[in-house]
Amino acid sequence: MTSVPEKPTANGKIFPTAQAALEGVFDGASVLVAGWSASDEPEKLLRGLGEIGVGNLTLVCQGAWAQKPGKFGIGDLIATGQVKKMVSPLPFHPEYGGPVKDRWKSGELELEVVPQGVLAERLRAGGAGIGGVFLPTGARTRFAEGKELRPFDGKEHVLEFALKADFALLRAKTADTLGNMVYEGTGRNWNPIMAMAATVTVAEVDQVVEPGGLNPELVITQAIFIDRLVSAI
Amino acid sequence: MPGKPLDPSFVARRVAQELFPGAVVALGPGLPWGLPSALRNGSGVWLVSDSGFLGFQGPGTEAADGECQTVVMLSGGAYTGVVDIGGILRGGHTDIAVLQPAQVSANGDFVHWTTAATQGLFAPGPAVDMAYGASKVVAVIPHQNADGSSTILGQCSLPVDGAGQVDMIISDAAVINVSQDGLELVEIAPGWTVDEVVAMTDAQLSISSVKEMGFEVPALEMPNKVYPSALEALKDVPEGSIINVDGFAGPGGMAHYLMVGLRDLGVKGLQLISNTAGVARVSGFGAPNIIDHSILVENNQVAKATASYPVSPSASRPSAFEEAYNRGETELEVVPQGTLAERLRCGGAGVAAFYTPTGAGTLLGEGKEARSIGGKEYILETGLRADFCIIRGYKADTLGNVVYKGTSRNFNPVMATTAKITVVEVDEIVEPGELGPEEIVTPGLFVDRIVVRPPEFSAYL
Repeated sequence: MTSVPEKPTANGKIFPTAQAALEGVFDGASVLVAGWSASDEPEKLLRGLGEIGVGNLTLVCQGAWAQKPGKFGIGDLIATGQVKKMVSPLPFHPEYGGPVKDRWKSGELELEVVPQGVLAERLRAGGAGIGGVFLPTGARTRFAEGKELRPFDGKEHVLEFALKADFALLRAKTADTLGNMVYEGTGRNWNPIMAMAATVTVAEVDQVVEPGGLNPELVITQAIFIDRLVSAI
Repeated sequence: MPGKPLDPSFVARRVAQELFPGAVVALGPGLPWGLPSALRNGSGVWLVSDSGFLGFQGPGTEAADGECQTVVMLSGGAYTGVVDIGGILRGGHTDIAVLQPAQVSANGDFVHWTTAATQGLFAPGPAVDMAYGASKVVAVIPHQNADGSSTILGQCSLPVDGAGQVDMIISDAAVINVSQDGLELVEIAPGWTVDEVVAMTDAQLSISSVKEMGFEVPALEMPNKVYPSALEALKDVPEGSIINVDGFAGPGGMAHYLMVGLRDLGVKGLQLISNTAGVARVSGFGAPNIIDHSILVENNQVAKATASYPVSPSASRPSAFEEAYNRGETELEVVPQGTLAERLRCGGAGVAAFYTPTGAGTLLGEGKEARSIGGKEYILETGLRADFCIIRGYKADTLGNVVYKGTSRNFNPVMATTAKITVVEVDEIVEPGELGPEEIVTPGLFVDRIVVRPPEFSAYL
């Protein structure tokens, strides 16, 4: 008979705190962060990363736009100096600027700016086991510089490689204890593909229900992609 | 004294004149967001926001993007995620993209957000996907920057975010068409003269006939998608068409009524893309007279099948397709199931080709480009597209939004994105709003025609 060691930090996939759910995030880790222009970000997990203080992170996210007062967002994490590189389609709002612009200007933050659909497709490829994809997006611009080009149907396409990360920090409305998740409105955004593209996925959720509490036709992210859950509240 | 620049709301009203009933219209950040409020009735088109709204109107109560625009989801609207938005933008599903570049050049190049304010940092956001994916790209811009310099230039002075992608410029003073021959001034705003517009444009404008801009917003209504019968919905399928046929292996999730319609039309030379080439009957699923691809094969309508399970599970009970293939009457392309799904997904999402590990080093990889990426072997597979697609939903609303039941979802959602004309067969057609925006699996913008499965066909399978 095999004895299963008890996990002191978690009840199944449910972790008591953000810090516990982020156990194992290491110096130099790559981290996907869901959210949209400062909305629907996994705030508690971002705070947790800030508290852990682990550095040299590479963040892959939509961007770091101005946060509402009292909230802790991607920009606030960048302000801590823990992030060395950010991969993003809209790194900051031009009228806001904020820590991304400041640290990029001072050379403390490296930026890889990519079209949104290209980033999404690279993550999807990473999560779906595809090595690379030929996309028409950005042909004959700086987005194609240094990349392999090939014509398909008479149109130039750019080879983009899959993107995977060590961790993904997600934000959902409701999860069941197995990790099946649903979102509310545009809160879906990057979550479903980021959930597939990381070695360890951590989701911050408004509420957790028992298995069966979510309609199987409506589940957007399946439990097999989710490793850890933490309450947003 | 030159004219007064138009208020952005009037620019938006002029943009509205470029729309047509049922158009899929993607909005980039900035001025394009005047459009949802300019439309008297947003339900005649599919407005797409990169944040994941499909089918909305403005203003409303939900934040739509980082610029603090608000919208309201229309009845029949759906939420989706970033990767599916990317597919909608890139996969030939977007009719018009409306963008606000910082600069546009005479050959249609544009610079998106690189401005003095960003101090050299650029932000392509969704604009590049929209520009490279949409059938028509409309740039909405102030004609001049605050310092009086022109936003329309012979050549962009900053690195471009799109090369030769802009088709039309609607500014606060003029409408300019962009073609390979350069810029043509076609409309000027009230109060402006042609000479004034030419003087403040830093690019050559050709001029033959110039009208005054109008601001009437067209009344747009969604085209009818509900057809009275399978025969009506399929009557223009030409000979030799490539047709996606949904279903898995058994009868579940298969569009039997549409299949019978195709048979009754008798159209020949069909190239079917489907998980099987018709094994439900020989596998003995369901009733003995079960409908599957075999009815098309037996009617000599099938020239080729692209499938992952082309043969019967029992050698002693070959399928109709196998027999036809063995007689040399049909061609066959065998594709692993996941590769078939991925080729369809790529066809629908504007991905020309992809490297997959599946089949590397086997017969399935023969004749295909092999490549090592990160120490793993991959083969290059190309996207698949079809002329028509027949799929089986559970319910559709009149706008074409579809939900499925259980595993009958299978190939349906991905196939719906890859055909020029997608026809869906459902148990029930409901009014927009009856399917919730979080619940919709196939958004209506992918569906062209809807028929109700008649009661003489089996109940939901």
